[in-house]
Amino acid sequence: MMRAVSAAETAVTTHPWAVHAEGLRVRAGRHLAVDGLDLALLSGVHGLLGPNGAGKTTLIRALATVLNPAGGRLTLLGRPVDGRSDLRSVRRTLGYLPQHFGFYPRFTVREFVGYMAWLKEMPKAGVAAAVQRSIDRVGLTSKADARLKTLSGGMLRRAGIAQAIVNDPQLLLLDEPTVGLDPEQRLDFRDLLRDLGTDSCVLVSTHLVEDVVAACTDVLVLNEGRLVWQGTPEGLTTQGDQGDAGDSPAERGYSAVLRRHRAEAAQ
Amino acid sequence: MNILGIELRRSAALGAGLITVVVGAGALYVATGRWSSGWMALAMTIREYLLLLWPLALAAGAWQGRREHRAKVGELFTTTARPRAQRMLPVLGAMALTLAVAYLLVTVAGIGWIASTARHLPLLNFAVVTGVGALSLIGAAWLGLGIGRMLPALVTAPALAVAGVLLIFLSVIRLPDWLAAAISPVHGTVPFHAYQTIDNRVSGALAISMAALAAAGLLLFVADGWRTRTAALVPVVLGLVVATAVVPRDEGVLNWPVDPVARELVCTDDAPTVCVSRVNANVLDALTPLAREGLTALAKLPDAPTAVHEDTRTLMSDDVSSPEDGIVRIPVRIDKSGGLAHPAAVVTEVVRGLGVGYDGQCQNRDDVVERAAAYWLLAREPQSDVGVIPGMIEESPEINVEAVALWRGLRELPEDEALDRVTAVRDALRLCTDVTGILSGTAR
Repeated sequence: MMRAVSAAETAVTTHPWAVHAEGLRVRAGRHLAVDGLDLALLSGVHGLLGPNGAGKTTLIRALATVLNPAGGRLTLLGRPVDGRSDLRSVRRTLGYLPQHFGFYPRFTVREFVGYMAWLKEMPKAGVAAAVQRSIDRVGLTSKADARLKTLSGGMLRRAGIAQAIVNDPQLLLLDEPTVGLDPEQRLDFRDLLRDLGTDSCVLVSTHLVEDVVAACTDVLVLNEGRLVWQGTPEGLTTQGDQGDAGDSPAERGYSAVLRRHRAEAAQ
Repeated sequence: MNILGIELRRSAALGAGLITVVVGAGALYVATGRWSSGWMALAMTIREYLLLLWPLALAAGAWQGRREHRAKVGELFTTTARPRAQRMLPVLGAMALTLAVAYLLVTVAGIGWIASTARHLPLLNFAVVTGVGALSLIGAAWLGLGIGRMLPALVTAPALAVAGVLLIFLSVIRLPDWLAAAISPVHGTVPFHAYQTIDNRVSGALAISMAALAAAGLLLFVADGWRTRTAALVPVVLGLVVATAVVPRDEGVLNWPVDPVARELVCTDDAPTVCVSRVNANVLDALTPLAREGLTALAKLPDAPTAVHEDTRTLMSDDVSSPEDGIVRIPVRIDKSGGLAHPAAVVTEVVRGLGVGYDGQCQNRDDVVERAAAYWLLAREPQSDVGVIPGMIEESPEINVEAVALWRGLRELPEDEALDRVTAVRDALRLCTDVTGILSGTAR
């Protein structure tokens, strides 16, 4: 049955790691998409890069508690995720934007975000203000009462981000959040990410290296289900040289990381 | 932020409720005469229209269930704190609330029609019959939600609607009465008499069945695997077992039982006494002068009846009126506005048997002789029952021709002689002896 959630239950707590994985394995159907991943994330904005099929979405889905680990250990906000533990308290402080997110088309933006706040068991008293704040933060104030089915792809994506941040999550997982955003909106989104990363652990999966370099404090490169590189955006730019593919130092660094990993794997 | 309000706006619940109100109230007002006689007639007629509304609720639920599936919100919602069952509550609640309110609105629409005329209100029975009707709609909608989410095809909703009609129809005509009463929301609702009710034990059994269907629908709707879906069979089987254990087997209780309070007579304070059943008490004032006019005509006879009562016998009852108890029993009919129907027939109906009730056994009743005698008492030329007596749609022309001939013969006789012959007919009817030739004076 439904019950009220006390403020203490949703209060921010401090964990040594927001995400801690050891030898994590996750299946996507029959395929082992994440295979022996070691990962430790603190607060900040972490950019997750990798080619198609690298396991980015599968990893994010596992961190979002959609998929259960097939092996290894995973701890989110200090709680183990093993398919048996109660994830309710973790989920209260989780924000998630799936790559393709479903929605009720007749919802307005405000209703959608408010509904998600209810699903996240936010204390009722603060919901209306939190909904308005999250809508304002993604720049949808003027569309707050528009139905989702009337929104453009970019606006819909922003509505998705608004629901993800409505509960001020300690762990925010965004899978391809900038798809459909125009250049100006992407710049605004980078500001939002930087803001969110000051108190929370934000993991952003994307193909856009420039976004990662501009907004993230930490870069993770995933390939074939394994973490093949982790460092700062500046560190990534130093990985490549003029011979590597890419239009910017960061893209060339990313290409170099993948090239080296593939070469090592081939040996 | 009101989650139920959001759910009402975004889901098909309001639409389902609106359809229920339009179809239910529309069906009611197409034939007000079927339920204008009182509260229970209204409650049972709305229950009868579940033949339409129940399959519609089933289909509406399936439609919403399909929409839930197509919205593909599962992944996003899975990552939230609320358990799966709680996440489903808004849509279940919205559907239940709107359909229950819609059913009550249909009832209120009917109450508006009968409020000024209906007298006898068996509050508990009325509430139970209405409540079980609303529960039936909720059960159908929730079952539809579960099936629609499990089989989210375009054809599921219309197929369920057809299946619902067939289920209700076939359950009534093919199953034993006790089983139909336990599972069909329309069983026992077809009006056969004015004092009809539904036994509370039958309502209880049906409520169990419908609650079981609702529980099965809920399980199907929140199910995340075949194990839970299979578990949905448990409440269905359990509900059926308990409902059939609870439902009475007595045919008299299952089929059109009489509410004895509704059938009680209420009478005029002054003489000659005129009485109607409690359920028809509102027409007593309209009936009384007409009934007394008939009694006045009969009063020409010696030892004439002194009272008119509504004939409260039913097809299913064993009551037999005594032909010699000094009371004329006539049917009381209610028009579509709740008033006295066919007032022009009342005087004729009081006089036509010369005050001798038909016990269903006597083989010596004679329409020609009785009509001629009755119309002599009324001092009017006999006329065919067609157009006078409600329900008479055909009559052999010879009957009235012969009655008029006999009546004319009586008119040519001295008053005393004619009265003696009419009295002799009445006495013969009381004894169930042959009346042939009494009026014409040719009897041996």
